[in-house]
Amino acid sequence: MVEMTIKAYGDFLDEGRIMGSRCRGCGAVHLPPRPVCPECGARDPEWVELRGEGAVQAFTVVTVPLTRLKDRCPYAVGVVKLDDGPSVSGMILGVAEGSEIAVGARVRAEFVKEGERTALCFRPA
Amino acid sequence: MRLSRGVAVVGAGMTRFHHRDHADKASRELFVEAATEAMGSVDNGLKPNEIEALFVGNFSSDLFEGQTHTAALLADWMGLTPVPATRVEDACASSGVAVNMGVLAIASGAYDVVMVGGVEKMRNLGTEETTDTLAIAADAAYEVAAGFTFPGLYAAMATAHFARYGSTWEQLAAISIKNHHNGALNPKAHFQAEIMDTAARLGERQGMKFGDEMEFLRSPLNPVVAYPLRLFDCCPVSDGSAVVILAAEEVARKFTDTPVHIRGIGQASDTMALHDRGDIATLRATRLAASQAYGMAGVEAADIDVADVHDCFTIAEVLATEDLGFFPKGEGGKAAAEGRTSLDGERPVNPDGGLKAKGHPVGATGAAMAYEMFLQLRGEAGKHQVDDAMIGLAHNVGASGGTVVVQVYGR
Repeated sequence: MVEMTIKAYGDFLDEGRIMGSRCRGCGAVHLPPRPVCPECGARDPEWVELRGEGAVQAFTVVTVPLTRLKDRCPYAVGVVKLDDGPSVSGMILGVAEGSEIAVGARVRAEFVKEGERTALCFRPA
Repeated sequence: MRLSRGVAVVGAGMTRFHHRDHADKASRELFVEAATEAMGSVDNGLKPNEIEALFVGNFSSDLFEGQTHTAALLADWMGLTPVPATRVEDACASSGVAVNMGVLAIASGAYDVVMVGGVEKMRNLGTEETTDTLAIAADAAYEVAAGFTFPGLYAAMATAHFARYGSTWEQLAAISIKNHHNGALNPKAHFQAEIMDTAARLGERQGMKFGDEMEFLRSPLNPVVAYPLRLFDCCPVSDGSAVVILAAEEVARKFTDTPVHIRGIGQASDTMALHDRGDIATLRATRLAASQAYGMAGVEAADIDVADVHDCFTIAEVLATEDLGFFPKGEGGKAAAEGRTSLDGERPVNPDGGLKAKGHPVGATGAAMAYEMFLQLRGEAGKHQVDDAMIGLAHNVGASGGTVVVQVYGR
C-alpha cells in the first residue's frame, strides 16, 4: 500500500483524486490522510476516495497575501466540509469579496496546477 | 493536577512594545532591558547569582534575525552563564508556556529562583515576509499551502462564529475601541491613543473628518486585511521583551513582602489545522487549559477580577471570554459591546490594551501578561489599574489554538 505521506496525498491530487484515510479500527475518515487515528489510536488506515462536494464551513477573503500569492489577491480561502465527512482547507475560486460567498454555501472541488503541485480548490456550485 | 510546592512572582519588567523605539535594537538587547527592569523591581534586591535557571519564549529569531540557540545567547548577554537556559517555541504562546515551565521547574524542587522571559524582534522584515513567517505557525503543508494567512485563519473563525451565533463585526469593533482606550492609559503599550485621536490624525492627512469611532472604522482608512477583519481588528507587529522572576513560596518573602502567587496553571493542545476541529467557533484548548488552572486554584470563572486574554485579533477576544467561561457561548461580543469587559465594567478584560493596542511581539506576549498580572495584583498598574483586583488570569494562545496556556494569579 502507498504510505500515507504528504507527498502521496499530493500525487493523488495530481491525478485529480481526493484521497483520505479510513481507520480500520474505528472507521473514522480523515482528510488529509493520517498514519495514526486520533480517535482510537490505531495505526492501520486504508486509503479512501472522497467526492469533491461539500459546503463552506468558514471562509475569508485575503487582501494582505502571502508573498507566493500576491499576484492572485484578493482571493477567498476557506474550510469546506465534504459531504463524505471530513473537512479540508482550500481556495474558493471565483470569489473576490466577502459578500459573494457565505457559510453553508455549496461548493465543488477543482484541481488547480500551481507550478509542480496540484492544489485542491473549490468553486461555488 | 496539583503542584508539589507553591510558586510566586517576585519581580517583573518589560520594554515598551513598539517598532520605531526599538529600530536599532536586537532581541538580546531588548531582553537585557526587560530583565534588568525585572531584577530591579524585586523589592529587597536580587543578585544575578541567585537565579538558577532561565526559560525564554521566542517564536522565530531564526527567520526574523537569522539567529537560533536563543536561550543560551540571552543568558550570556544577561550575565547568567552558566545557568541552564532553555528556549520554548509554541508559536504565540511561547512565553506563556515558558512561565508554566518555570513554575514546574520550581515546583519540582530543582530550583528556588528562576527567570522566565520572552522576546521577539519582528520589524526586520517587510509586511509580506512577516506574513509568510507568521503563517508557518499554522499547518504549512495543509493550511498555508491552501492559501491561509494568519489573519485569514482568525477571519475564518469569525465567519463561523457570526454564522452560528449571530455575532457581528460591530461587536468586534467595540473590542478594538475598548482596547485602544486601555492602551492609551498604559505607558508600555505600542498604541497609546484613543481610536478617535488616531482617526483625527489619519483623517487630517486625507482631508477626512469622522463623527465617531464607527464612522472611522467603516471608512477606507481601516482597510480589510482578511474579510471580515479590518486593520483595526488586528494587533500590530511589534518588537519587545518581558521578563518575570519566579520564586518558591518558601523563599519568596525574602525578596518581597508582596509576592503575587501563582494559584493555578493549565496547558492544552489541539489539532494544528482548523479543518480538523469540527467546531471552528470554539478553542477547545482554552476550555481545557482554563479548567485545569481553575481546578488547581480552586476558583471559578466568576471569581476572576481581571484578565489578560489573547486578542491577536478582535474575534480572538470574543472566543476567549466565552471559552474561559466569563460569558455564555455566543455572547462574548455582545458583552464587550455592552461595556461589561471595560476597565470599569463587571469583568475587565485586557486593561493593558491587550495584544490589540499593547502590541504582540509574538514570543514576548505570555511573559508580558505575567508582568501585567504582577502590576495589577500589587495595585501598581497606574492609570489602567483595576480597582481591588484580587484574582487575575492570563490566557495565551499559540497560533489558531493548537496551544493554549492559562495561569491564575492571586494576591
